[in-house]
Amino acid sequence: MNAPIGHYQYDSVDRDFLAARIDEFADQVARRIDGALTEDEFKPFRLMNGLYLQLHAYMLRVAIPYGTLDSRQMRMLAEIARTYDRDYGHFTTRQNIQFNWIRLEDTPEILRRLASVDMHAIQTSGNCIRNVTSDQFAGASADELVDPRVHAEILRQWSTLHPEFTFLPRKFKLAVSGSPEDRVAARFHDVGVIARPGPDGTLFRIFVGGGMGRTPAVGKEIFDSVREEDLLATLEAILRVYNAHGRRDNIYKARIKILVEALGIDAYREAVLAELAQMDMALYRLTPDMVAAIRARFAAPDLTAPPDATATFEADRARHPAFDRWTRSNTHPHRAPGYISVTVSLKPAGGIPGDATSSQIDGLADLADSYSFGELRITHMQNVVLAHVRQDRLFDLFQALDELGLATPNVGLVSDIIACPGLDYCALANSRSIPIAQKLSARFGDPTLQEEVGRLRINISGCINACGHHHAGHIGLLGVDKRGEEFFQITLGGRSDNNAAIGEILGPALPEDDTVDAIARIVDRYLSIRELGETFLDTLSRLGDAPFREAAYETA
Amino acid sequence: MKRPTRLGEGQKLILTANRLLDGHIVWRDAAGQWRPSITHAAQLDTDTAQTALETLDAQKEGVVGVYEVAVHPGIPPSPVSVRERIRAFGPTVHPEFATELEP
Ligand code: SF4
Repeated sequence: MNAPIGHYQYDSVDRDFLAARIDEFADQVARRIDGALTEDEFKPFRLMNGLYLQLHAYMLRVAIPYGTLDSRQMRMLAEIARTYDRDYGHFTTRQNIQFNWIRLEDTPEILRRLASVDMHAIQTSGNCIRNVTSDQFAGASADELVDPRVHAEILRQWSTLHPEFTFLPRKFKLAVSGSPEDRVAARFHDVGVIARPGPDGTLFRIFVGGGMGRTPAVGKEIFDSVREEDLLATLEAILRVYNAHGRRDNIYKARIKILVEALGIDAYREAVLAELAQMDMALYRLTPDMVAAIRARFAAPDLTAPPDATATFEADRARHPAFDRWTRSNTHPHRAPGYISVTVSLKPAGGIPGDATSSQIDGLADLADSYSFGELRITHMQNVVLAHVRQDRLFDLFQALDELGLATPNVGLVSDIIACPGLDYCALANSRSIPIAQKLSARFGDPTLQEEVGRLRINISGCINACGHHHAGHIGLLGVDKRGEEFFQITLGGRSDNNAAIGEILGPALPEDDTVDAIARIVDRYLSIRELGETFLDTLSRLGDAPFREAAYETA
Repeated sequence: MKRPTRLGEGQKLILTANRLLDGHIVWRDAAGQWRPSITHAAQLDTDTAQTALETLDAQKEGVVGVYEVAVHPGIPPSPVSVRERIRAFGPTVHPEFATELEP
C-alpha cells in the first residue's frame, strides 16, 4: 500500500505492538468480568486504553494523532458508531473522537477493528502524555513555515508508552504548530511547540505551563530557539523536572502550570538546563536521518491544478451567493495555486457541537476520497477539514456537503460554538453545556446576522475542568451548580491565538435562559458601539467590559 | 468513609449503579434486583440504605460504582439533583435515547 496522504504510515512493528496491547487489554477485560480484577484494580488499565465509565455507559475515546486521518479510518469510525454505539460519534476539542454508549464486553473487538486501520485509544486518558495535537491546516496553509506533522509524529512516537512518563503527576498535553499564526492554542498547552525555519535547520520556540481548568494559565516561553537535534532532549528535560517536582498530593495542583507558577519561569528554565547538562545528549539526539525517515512515511499530494482553476472558482462564487458566503467563512488559503482548504462545520444551527452521525462520517470519507486525496483532519474547534481541494471543484464539494447537511457557513463565527459534553454525558459536570450551545446557535443561526457580527467565539464548559475551553472563548460560559440548579458564569476577552489571554468574569452567574438573553444583549451592544472594522475583541479592548456588563445585567 | 447523604424534608434514598458489562444505569428494587428503569427502585431511609450499601456484593450482582441518590418519593421517584434526573431519564439533548420507564 502507498503511504497515506497526511499521516504516518504504520509498519509491522507498529501493528504487532497494537495487536499485543489489545490482547493484553482483552485479558484484563475478561478478568474484570469474572471478578479476578476489582474495579479499583481495573480502572487504571481501562483508562490507559481510553475507556471511561461515564454517566450513561462506558465511553471510548479514540486517538486521532495530530487530528489527521484517512478515509478508510474515517469509515471505520462510522462503522463503530453504527455497530457498537448509537449511530453517532462526538469529535472533541483535542481532535479525537468519543463514543458515548460503548459496552465493556465489546471493547476488545472495537480495538481490534480500530487496529485493522492503524488506530487505537492508547493514552487518550490517564496521567500520561496525551494525543499530540497540531494545526488543522498543516502541510496546506499558505502561511505555514514548517509542516508540523513530521515533528508531531516524532513526538507521538517519543511519548507513546514512554517508560518514564507513564505515571506523571497529571495528564500532559502537547501541541505543535509551524505557522506564525497560532491555530493550535500553543500557549494553552502544558507544552506548546512552534516550529520555524532557521539558517541551519528547523528551530523550535517552546512554551510551558499553559492550561485551562480550575487555574487557567497562559504558557510562558521557556526557550526561543531550540535546534531540531535537541528537541527531544529538551522536552525530556522539561518533563523530568515536572515529573520530579510536580505535586502529587493534590490533584488540583498537579499540572505543570502550577509548578511553573510556583518556581517562576526562570527557575524552571534553570532546572531544565541543569537536567540537560547531565544528560547524555547523544542518546537523545534527533538526527536529520531520523527526521527524514519519519518524513518519508508521509506521502505528498500532487497539487497541480488546471491554470483556470481560480477563474472557475471566482465565476462560481459570482453566480451563487450562498456558495460565496460559505467560501468566505469556511475556507482557508492554500499554499498551492489553484487549491484551497475547507473547514466543514459540525455546528448546524440548533445542533450539537462536534456530533456527527455514521452516515455523515461515511459521507465525509467519500468526499475526502473525491476531493482531498482521501485525507481529513479534525479541528480543536470540533469541525472537520478537507485540506487540499482544487478550487475549480469547490462548488461541487459545497453542493455535496449541502446534501449531507454539512454546509453551514459559520466557521469562526458566533454559532461555531465549542461545547464540552457537559452534564448530559459527563460524570464530572455541574451543568449541561449542549442545550445552551443549541439555544445560542439557533438564536444566532441567521447567516447574514452572523456575518455582520463577524469573528466571535463562544466556548462553553460544563464545569471548571474547562474541556470546552471557556477561558479562551471571546465569550466564555462556565456551568456552575447553585443549590442544584444550573447557572452560567460569563467571561469576556479570552483568546487562544498569539495574544493568548484568559477571559475575565463579567458578573454574577445567570440561569440558562437568562444567559442566552444576556449574550444576545452583549452582541447587540457590540454591534451598536463598534467602530468600522472592529471585531468583538477590538471593541472590548478599546472600551473595556463595562458596556457589556451593563448590557448583560440590564433588566427589562 | 463517605458521609451519608443528607436528606431534605420527605426525601428518600434509592440505590443506583452501572451495569458491569455494558455500563448502563440500573436501580435496585425491593427484591434486590438491578433494573434499568427507576420506576420500581426501593425507596429507603438513610439507615436502610446504609445497610444495603454495606452488605451488597457489587461484583456478584454484576454492577459497578454503587451509591445512593436522594429522591422525592413517587412512582417513578424523582431524583433531587439534575445529574441524577439525567441519569434516570436519559440525556436531555437526544430525546430518542430517553430511558424507557416501566409502568
Ligand atoms: S468541562 Fe467538565 S463537564 Fe465538560 S467534559 Fe470536561 S469534565 Fe465534563
